[in-house]
Formats: sequence, structure tokens, C-alpha cells
Amino acid sequence: MKTLIELSVNGEKYELGIEPQLTLLEVLRDHLGLTGTKEGCGTGECGSCTVLADGKPILSCLALAADCEGVPITTIEGLAQGDSLTTVQQAFLDTGAVQCGFCTPGMVLSAAALLEEFPSPTDPQIKKAFEGNLCRCTGYNKIMEAIRQAACNCGQQNVQEKDK
Amino acid sequence: MSDLQFVGKRIQRKDGPAKVTGRAMYTGDLNLPGMLVGKILRSPYPHAQILNIDISRAAQVAGVKAIITAHDTLGIKHGFVETPRYPADQFPLAMDRVRFVGEEVAAVAATDPHTAEEALSLIQVDYAPLPAVFDPLEAMRPDAPEIHPSHPKVREPFQNIAGKTETSWGDVEKAFAESDLVIENRFESHLRTHGYLEPQVSVASFEPGGKLNVWTSSQGPFIKRAKLARTLGIPFSTVRVQKAYVGGAFGGKIDLFSHEYCAALLSMKTSRPVKICASREEIFAAYRHGQPLLVELKTGVKKDGTLLAQQFRVINNPGAYRGSGVVVIFLAWGFATLPYRLPNLKYEGYAVYTNNPVRAPQRGHGAPQMRFAVESQLDMIAEELGLDPIEIRLKNARRSGERLPNGDNVHNCGLTECISQSATHTEFLEKHKANRSAASANERYRRGIGMGVSAYFGGSLIYPNSSSVIIKMNDDGSLTMLTGAIDIGQGAETILSQIVAEELKVPVDEIQVIAADTETTPVDIGAWISGGAYVSGNATREAATQVRTKLLQIAANELEANPDDLVLEEKTVYVMGSPDRRLTYQELVSASVRKNRGDPITGEGHWRTMKDEPMHPSLATTKGRWSENYAFDAQIAEVEVDTETGVVRLIRAVTAHDCGFPINPMLVEGQVDGQVSMALGHAFMEEVLMEEGRTLNPNWLDYHMPCMHNIAQSEHIDVITESYEVGRPYRTKEVGEGLVSAILAAIANAVYNAIGVRLYSTPFTPEKILRALGKIK
Amino acid sequence: MHLPRFNLLRPRSFTEALEFLERHGADAQIVAGGTDILPRLKYGLLSPEFVISLKRLHADSPVLTSEGNLRLGSLMTLADVGSSQIIRQNAPLLAEAAEAVGSKQVRHMGTLGGNICLENRCLYYNQGHEFQFIEPCFKRKGDACYLFPKGKKCWAVFMGDTAPALISLGAELEIASHEKMTLETVEGFYTGDPVRPNALSRYEMIRDILIPMPVGLRGSAFVKLSPRGGLDFATLSIAVVLDMADDGVTCLTARITLGAVSPRPSRVPKAEEALAEQRLSSELFRSVSEIVQNEVNPVTHHGFSRAYLKKCLQSQTFDALTLAASRVEKRGT
Repeated sequence: MKTLIELSVNGEKYELGIEPQLTLLEVLRDHLGLTGTKEGCGTGECGSCTVLADGKPILSCLALAADCEGVPITTIEGLAQGDSLTTVQQAFLDTGAVQCGFCTPGMVLSAAALLEEFPSPTDPQIKKAFEGNLCRCTGYNKIMEAIRQAACNCGQQNVQEKDK
Repeated sequence: MSDLQFVGKRIQRKDGPAKVTGRAMYTGDLNLPGMLVGKILRSPYPHAQILNIDISRAAQVAGVKAIITAHDTLGIKHGFVETPRYPADQFPLAMDRVRFVGEEVAAVAATDPHTAEEALSLIQVDYAPLPAVFDPLEAMRPDAPEIHPSHPKVREPFQNIAGKTETSWGDVEKAFAESDLVIENRFESHLRTHGYLEPQVSVASFEPGGKLNVWTSSQGPFIKRAKLARTLGIPFSTVRVQKAYVGGAFGGKIDLFSHEYCAALLSMKTSRPVKICASREEIFAAYRHGQPLLVELKTGVKKDGTLLAQQFRVINNPGAYRGSGVVVIFLAWGFATLPYRLPNLKYEGYAVYTNNPVRAPQRGHGAPQMRFAVESQLDMIAEELGLDPIEIRLKNARRSGERLPNGDNVHNCGLTECISQSATHTEFLEKHKANRSAASANERYRRGIGMGVSAYFGGSLIYPNSSSVIIKMNDDGSLTMLTGAIDIGQGAETILSQIVAEELKVPVDEIQVIAADTETTPVDIGAWISGGAYVSGNATREAATQVRTKLLQIAANELEANPDDLVLEEKTVYVMGSPDRRLTYQELVSASVRKNRGDPITGEGHWRTMKDEPMHPSLATTKGRWSENYAFDAQIAEVEVDTETGVVRLIRAVTAHDCGFPINPMLVEGQVDGQVSMALGHAFMEEVLMEEGRTLNPNWLDYHMPCMHNIAQSEHIDVITESYEVGRPYRTKEVGEGLVSAILAAIANAVYNAIGVRLYSTPFTPEKILRALGKIK
Repeated sequence: MHLPRFNLLRPRSFTEALEFLERHGADAQIVAGGTDILPRLKYGLLSPEFVISLKRLHADSPVLTSEGNLRLGSLMTLADVGSSQIIRQNAPLLAEAAEAVGSKQVRHMGTLGGNICLENRCLYYNQGHEFQFIEPCFKRKGDACYLFPKGKKCWAVFMGDTAPALISLGAELEIASHEKMTLETVEGFYTGDPVRPNALSRYEMIRDILIPMPVGLRGSAFVKLSPRGGLDFATLSIAVVLDMADDGVTCLTARITLGAVSPRPSRVPKAEEALAEQRLSSELFRSVSEIVQNEVNPVTHHGFSRAYLKKCLQSQTFDALTLAASRVEKRGT
């Protein structure tokens, strides 16, 4: 039996009739065509399916879509405005933190959430925030560098905005 | 070098924006109209006869569109190696016998995954279990259960021999007799896996006209096309394997996999697209992992540390089918003997069938296991002789221009620089000495430092042997490159674009790349034999050279100048000394179309490693040339051991590598860092635990791939031995596989330096460390 | 991977949730954060007809009650438990344990109640069993054990992180059913039977968690050993509470609870006794950690041998005691 739900994803409202056992990941990918969110394991270990629920990183593979009613969801597709990348996305490119790219959407979203919580995170805070995002290509070195750089640039941006 | 604008620069990945915004389409992201879900039924037995398969109940489930078993196939076998000596030995679906837990027995295509699973559960397979064997030494015994007949050319009384490599030079017995020190040890490596984040997944779409379109997560589409066409019994020309982004591979996605075959056959049966995506559990429990090697090594040296002779006996456990098992025992010979001069060698390697899942190449393909053995023992020898680890390595390290016993030449070799520079950079000798004297002290945390050395080939002759590239100029002066090369994360499309950019002075972002499509792009060596930068790169450069020649020709005519006096700059050509006499590429394309009977300016280039060598070397005897391109490196590990918990952390890894020259230093660093991380996982925490052919930890909770907490400080030293000049062939070397090897050996030596106890088997788990320290019995 | 089909019930209040349980309890599974249940559903270890999601229920904010308890709603996420000021001030041990669970994402989803009700784990059990280990073991209602082939019962270990902390804190659970509300200590909540690890019936749920506040000085520490230092379940964990005399160096009473070495989180009375009324010192900690090593017979699990776990019990107990002693200060009201 299908359930009618209303989801808010990247600022857009969607009304969907879905089977109740569908995960948020399945609905994002198969119903909304938002395939930027990846499934690496399906059991909550790799973090490739990370999305933001009300700004906090969650595993969309372990969330029932129906349970996400009323919670604003942000996926990787919801970050950049047109061609203009976010500071975090740009930092990932500048530092070479992207290789195969499969973990990247989850990493970028985890980074966005971290910098929201701690604008100038310490290394232990970064590690704690990313322990649930596995990457096999980079050894995490350049990802860490990207986050440090993004923190620095976000900080500068804030200063500039204040100056205005 | 200094006038290079694009090559040698830290240029951002071309596919970066697509990847950070989630726009990059991977195979699993494809959703075609009417697409069915495919699932595979696997054997629960490590070894059994299939008596009967009854699909009648499954076929009646509403929503089931097709079921296939071996009877629906042509019964054509495939294998990683398919040569007269080593013919293919694996059916895409088990025919009458299963030989490992997880072997593919049947496949279903249905409208949704629930229906597909219900159908699988209703397929009745009657098995008659057979005795099984899992350990290669047990499997070799004459009374062991026969998995496959032993190789007919191996005349020893061993059972289950999948293949043997044997080679020698000099006279080891004589050399051992003349040695001042002879030492003999046995080193063991364990089962690890690739850990690509993107699961194995394929989409096949058969068009009624007879065209089979395939998207599959792979390391190169051409080998997939060849094996699919052959096993399905359809012409090459009807199979099109196309690019999708690939979420990591590391050797685990090279040759044909059953799910690819099944997706294709199910699509042919139903005339609908079929997607099969393996679960992570299937990947861990039924797909291919790396190969654990057992290495017996006897070495003879002179008092001054000069290596006189080495004798290797290597046993590989490749699982129930050959896979790349016979390739590893061949490669292991090379990885064992490349970095150091060795006047006398005797080598024998066996691949032994067992009832385990099939094994594949994994980054380094035998090199980490072999370097672990050789480098560990070299440190033992140095200690015995009162030498330090640096001098014994420098004494034996190969130097530029040396010839290997198989006829290969190492050309420019920066190994001694790698060893010296990394040692100086880390104050190796001071630390090494201080740690050794502190190793017996009663402090909880102990530091250790160690060095490893490795060398790796860059491109060899295995199908497809060559790369070819086409470059087209567009009306606006931008370029489109067609290459068969596949970007699996290593940055192939970026570095090839950098080469085109350099040769033609066109910005990287004005180069469109059409890649890895068997229908539209020329053949490529594939992202699996460490030949990308060299083979695909030189093919690209040749194609760009053709374009440049045409551009200069037409510009010379238009500008009434000598082609030698023309200069390329920012998509224009001008006359040297007269920058006003200048034409844009747009104008030149237009002129070419007008005056050269419509030629829009295209170029093509191709490259093959070892142009005079007709064949790949013999897997059985190692005779024949292997590569013309060797990378060298020395790596240093600094570790900290908690003697209370046995936990070892890699604190710092320093990599000094001779990769020729780095086309993109940022991508090179990424390769190094990733390999350091993979090696520390190998060293300390990753192990596929198996029990009688079944996998105990088929998930990332229990298979401990490093997470960000385990990050190691990774430092890089480039030893540049080659140069890049526009218009000239170049010899850059590989950087994607060799560096996972020396660092493992370095870690092993660092652990010894810290605790004073030598470990002969990987991984160095906390438990093993505590046992070594005598803290647990 | 996908979930099996089920009917989803989404109550809007505890009362409604309990009514659903009353009606469907035998065929229903509660899901709060989902991080433990959903993987098990995907692996086919559970196949309920109804799933009762608690996502619409409001998680009460933690409060200090007039009886001197810290009262927490079971639906607080682990991230909120870890960052809550009132918890960090009054029961820092719990915050520390909550922060040690899984990953950031898991802590944002997983709830305190869910972590308390975590299922026991075993390499052979937490799998799909589609083609491996098909014959059901004790925990899958069969009559065999893969870990101990001659074993007569299940030995899956309890691997939750917050339970040892709550037991050392002397916490109690308010367990609600449609009919009644009962109080149970966290310690008494666990049965020691891996097949049914806790006392919660299919018609009950944990409503609140009550943590008594200390009257005097207290030092506490949660130490978790794991292969990667994050993301993992514990190889073993230790939660230590030292209630101290006013001099700050004499331990009045101690509570030590171990996680992940047996089918339930368990205290080590002999070690606690050895600390009572003693002046804290490294020598004392050394002898207490040896008592723990000698007293406790850990269950081999997830590839860790008994000998290794025993050695680590000793070193981790020492670390936990040392850390707890370094943190002695006034807590609670």
C-alpha cells in the first residue's frame, strides 16, 4: 500500500506516493532523479549516501523516506547555485581532494555541516566529523586540506561580508 | 621545462566540477525506460556437483521476465588469462559443478528487487557436496580433493596446480657457497580487498536490431567488449561498452564478471534494459580480492652487503579459478628482483586452486607482498652484518642504464637519489639508531622508523596492447579528443588534456574529452597496467603533433612564412619576431576547410610499449621483454607502537619517487597518499576473514578499511629523471601502483625498529604485536 | 540494498505508539533512529508486518528533577546527548559514551533509547545469509552456533556504548506499555541471553532514562578500544565512575562496567570493592586492572581472541581509572 508523503528537498516541495519501506536514498535517486547521492554499502558504514536533514548529516540509506516529511533535506545537487560552487566544493577542487568522486558528495555535505557547526574546526573535530565517510582513493590527506582551506576561506568571506 | 604552461602544473581535474556537484553519472545512476532488476543466485557450497536446477516455480512469479542458468549459455569459458598454456577455465554461470561459496548459478530479471529475490528463493538447486580444500599447501598434496586437474606441464606430484612460473639466472648454489652470510625466511601475506566505494554494477540494453549496449563499472571497456562478445557468441561489432564515471577499482574491475554477462544475456532474452548491482556483501563474499602470497626466500650476501644470490619459492592461493593467479606468480618474480642488482636467481612460483572465491589483481599485483619479504630480510641482513639500512640499499640499488636479465633496460633510474634524499629528509639514521637503543626500554609508546624500496613497470603487453587517440579541431578553435582511456579517479582525462593543451596551446577547459566508448573512441591499453601516462599519453601527444603540423602548414601558407618560424600561443599562431602577423585557430580551421578540400584539421596518434617486441613475456618462463619503463621509489615509515594495546599508528610516510616527471603533481600526490593509506590498512587493520570458503566480515564495519582517524602525514619528494619537450616522445613512469609496496615494507621495518621483534606475516594486528612483545601468550 | 515490504505506522504521540504496540506488538518492530534496525531489516534478520516509526514523537529536553535525577527522553539523538550542556555538566560520562558511538551521521540519527536496545552482535549473525551461513544459528531460531560449533547456546556480545556508562551511573529506565509504567535499572534491563538481550517485551518501550545525581565529588571516564578509533563497534569498552570523599583523593565507591566482552554489559564487583575506601594511586589502579583481567572471562568476538581481550581489559581499565581520577570534580546539584 502506498503512502502519500510530502518531501522538501533542496528547497523544492515534492508530493509523492511511495511504498512505505522505501528509504530516503531510494526516493531521492529513483523518484526524484537526484542521483548525486550514492549508495556504497546500503547499511550505514561508508557515508556515500550522506545528505543533510535540517542541516545535519544523516545516512539516507538508513532513513525511511516517509520519516523525512517536514524535515528540509539538502542533497549535493542543492549546494551550488548554477555555475558558482560553494567554498567547500571549490576547496575540494583546489586541493585535489577528489579522485574517483564516489565519496565526494557525502564528503562535501559532511564538510558543509561541520563548518556550520564549527567555522574553524580543529583537526580532531574534523576527524570526528568525518569518521563515517570512507574514501579509498585519497588517504584523506587532501580532503583534510580541503576542509582546512574551506574553513579559512569561509572565515574570510564572513569577514568580508561584515565589512560590507 | 620552464616554458611549459600546462604539463607539470597542478591543474584541477577536468571532471572535478561534475563530481563535487553530484552531476557525474556513474553506471548505477543510469535509469533506462522499462529497465529490469537482475539478481544472481549463488552457491552455498564451496565445492559441489550440481545435480539439477528447477526454475519452474520461480518462473511463475508475476513480474519475473527471464531466468537464466548455464543451460541458457553457450558454455564458453572465460578467464583473466586466455592463452594456449592457460586456457580459460570459468563459465559465466556454473555448468555442472560449483567450486566456491558464492559462485554464480542462475540469474533472474524481474520488474523489482523484491520479485527478483522471491524468484531466486524459489529456484531449486540440488547439490551433491564434494570435499573442499582452502589452504594452498593442503590443496597441493597428492591426496587433496581435485578442484581442476593439475596443469599438464607441471610434472611435480602436486594436485591442483593452476600454473607455475620458473626462472633462473647465474648459479645460486655456487653463489650461496661463496656467500659470507646466507639467510632463509618465510613471509606470509593475507587476504585483503580493493575497497572501491562504488559497487560492481552493470546496465545492459539489447536493442531489437541486435545491438548490445553496456555500461559497466570497469577499468577499460575494450577488454569487456572482447570477453562479452566471445562468451555471448555475438560479433564484436554488435557490442558497445560505454563510459560512465567509475567510483574506484584498484584492480578489482578488470576482466569479465558474471554479473556483466548475466545482465547482457538477460537483456537479450527480454529485449529490455537490465541492471545488476552487487550488494556490498556480495562483493565481499563472492567477488574477487587480492592475492595472499607465501614467500620462501633464501639470500646470500657478501660481508659488505652485496647481494650475491636469491632463491624464491612463492605459493599463491588464487581461489577456485585461475583469475589472475598465474599472472601474480609471474609478476612476483619481477617485483622481487627489479630494484637491486642480483647476479644469481632461482625463482619458482605456484598458483594453486582452492575452493575460495576467485582472486584478481589488486593495486601492486604482488609487489607489496614481495617487497615486504625482500625488504624485511634485507634489514635483517644489514643488522647481522653491522650495516645500516641505507648503505645496504645504496650498495645494491640499480643505476641508470642497467640491463635486467630479461633484456629490459631501466634507462634513467633515480633509485639511489630516492634512497638518499628520503633518508636525509627524515634524519633516518639518527632516528633508526636511537629507536633501536630505546626499543627495550620500559616506555609505553615506542617509535620506529623503517625504509622500503620498490620498482614498478609502466605499461606492458597484455590485451589491449596499445592506445590510439583522435583529436578534432572545432570551428571555434577548441578541440575534441577521442580516447579509449578511462578515468577511474586517477585523472586520465585530465593529464591527457594537459598534454594536448601543452602541444597545442589550448586551455585545458577548451578540450572536450570523449572517452572510453568502444564504438566511438579508439582502443586503449586500459587503466590497469600502469601504462596510462606513458602509453595513452604518448598516443595523445602524437595525435596533437599531427594537428600542430597541419596548423603550422596552413598558417605558413596564410602568413607566407616558414613553418619553422611560427609560434603557437593561446589558440593562435604568429610569426616569430612579428607578433602582429597572427592568425587565430578559428581562422586557421576555416582556411583549412576552404583550401584543403574540407579538412577541418584532425590528428590521430597511437602508441605501443616496446615497439619491437612482438609478444608479451612468457608467464611460464619469464622469457621476453616486460616493459621499457620502470619507476623507482624509496619510502620511509615512522610508526608509534602502543605496547599496552598493541595498536600501531603510521605517523608519517615519506615517499621519494622517480616517476620520470609528473604531468600533474597534484594528481601524483593524490596517488601517493592513497597508496600510503591503502598500505597502512594492509599493514594494520584490513583482513578478509574466511572460514572454509565463507567470509566472516563482508561489510565495512568488520572489514576495517582506514577512516579519517587513521590518516598518516604523507610527504612527497619528486626525483625527476625525465623531461617533457613539446613535439618529442617522452618517457614518464608509473605512479599508481608501486608506491603501495615499498611503504608496506617500510612499515614492517619500522615496527621492528620500534619493538625489536620481527614480524613475518601481515597484518600487524594489535594481537600480533602484543604476542611479539610477550604480553600475551 | 533495500528493505522488505512492511506496513508503516507513524504515531504522533507516545500514547498512540503504545496503542499501536498493544494492537500489533507481536508482529511489529519499533524504529527510532533506524541505524541498528534498518541494516537488520535489510539483511533479513527481521521481517515484521508492521514498523512503528517514532520519528514524529517529540524528544523531551533533559531536565534535573526535584528528586535529584537527570531525566532524559529515550528519543534524544546521540548527537544531542553528546552536546547537551546539562548532560555534559551532570553526567559527562554519558555524553562521552554517546560521542563514541558509530559516526557523526549515526549519532545524528540514532537515539539513546535505541542504543540501549541495541541487538547483540556476532560475525556470523550480522549477515544476509543468502548464500553464506544459511543454516540458522541459535540467534536465528536454529540450534547451532558457528562461533562455538560445540556450543549449546548463543554467545553474541552486547556492543552498545551508552549502556556501560548508564550502568556505572546507576541509571534507571522508565518502561511504558499501554497498561502501565515500570521502573527498571539499566543493569537489570539486560538478560545476558543474546537471543533476547533485554527485558523489553514486544508491547513496551523505553520512555525516559533517569540518572541519579551524585552528592559529592565524582570522576568518570569512558574508554573505548576499537580497530580504527571511530566508526567501529567497541572491541571492548569500560565505563568508570569514582565517587570521592571531600579530600578528592579517597574513593568512597566505584562502579566499573564493561562493554562488548560478554552477552550483556557487566560490572566487576571485585574491582569495585578493591577501590572502595581507598586512596587513589597508580599502584592501586594497576592492581585493580589486574583484578579485572583475572576476574573477567571475555567472550571472543569479531576476530579478537580471549587472550587479547584479557590483556586489553587490563590496560584499558588502567587507562580509564587514571582518566577518571584526573577528572574528579563536583558534579550534580
